[in-house]
Amino acid sequence: MPKRLANRLKERRAELGLTQAELAERVGVTRKTVNTVENGVFTPSATLAIKLAGALGLSVEQLFWIER
Amino acid sequence: MSSYLIGLGAGIAVVLLIAAIVKLRTRGSPMSVAEKAEYLSKRRARMLPALAVIFLSQQATFFSQMSSSGHISAEKAKISAWLVLSIVLLAALASKGFWLEPKEVRDLVDDENTRANRNEAMRWGFLFSMGTAIAVYILTMFDTVTGREAVHLVMSSGIATALIRWGILERRAHKDA
Repeated sequence: MPKRLANRLKERRAELGLTQAELAERVGVTRKTVNTVENGVFTPSATLAIKLAGALGLSVEQLFWIER
Repeated sequence: MSSYLIGLGAGIAVVLLIAAIVKLRTRGSPMSVAEKAEYLSKRRARMLPALAVIFLSQQATFFSQMSSSGHISAEKAKISAWLVLSIVLLAALASKGFWLEPKEVRDLVDDENTRANRNEAMRWGFLFSMGTAIAVYILTMFDTVTGREAVHLVMSSGIATALIRWGILERRAHKDA
């Protein structure tokens, strides 16, 4: 069965009132990378996942989960 | 002066001219590192397929010239210019690119997603190169193919495929949901 890494990046980002560009700047990537992670097009590395979770004030498990 | 050297010089001059134009176009515009990286990344997504078309059209010229007569001076110059373009495109594919930009911009424009896209494009390029090499090998069983023609075909398919694939992936990545 295909597994997909789901996330609540968009919701959390909206809660904090951050734009994709602002979040990207906080974690040191381009807006494009945040966009692809949000849309599930790109699976981030553990390093980036930890950085994103840290920037959004959540744990990695709260931000990402595997959708079965 | 040898025609090959003239071609090499012309190829290098064109590359330097393009680099200078690109640099001058963004000079003086007050952009932060993130904005500049975003701008360059979007421009690269647009440029990659165009570069592939230019590169492939150069191959078409090469093969139409080769089929006529031997190596005249103009052909030698074209071959050298093609070599320069191939090396520059390969270097752009294998490195962060944007060599005249500051390090922080280059690092940001080559972030995780870009590296993943580039690796995927290189994988496609390698597979297409190998596929073309196999096709050329089979072709030699029925027809004569010179070493230079074979190299042109293998390099063209590999580099052009990598450029197109990278362009598609980058454009897709920039597209909003």
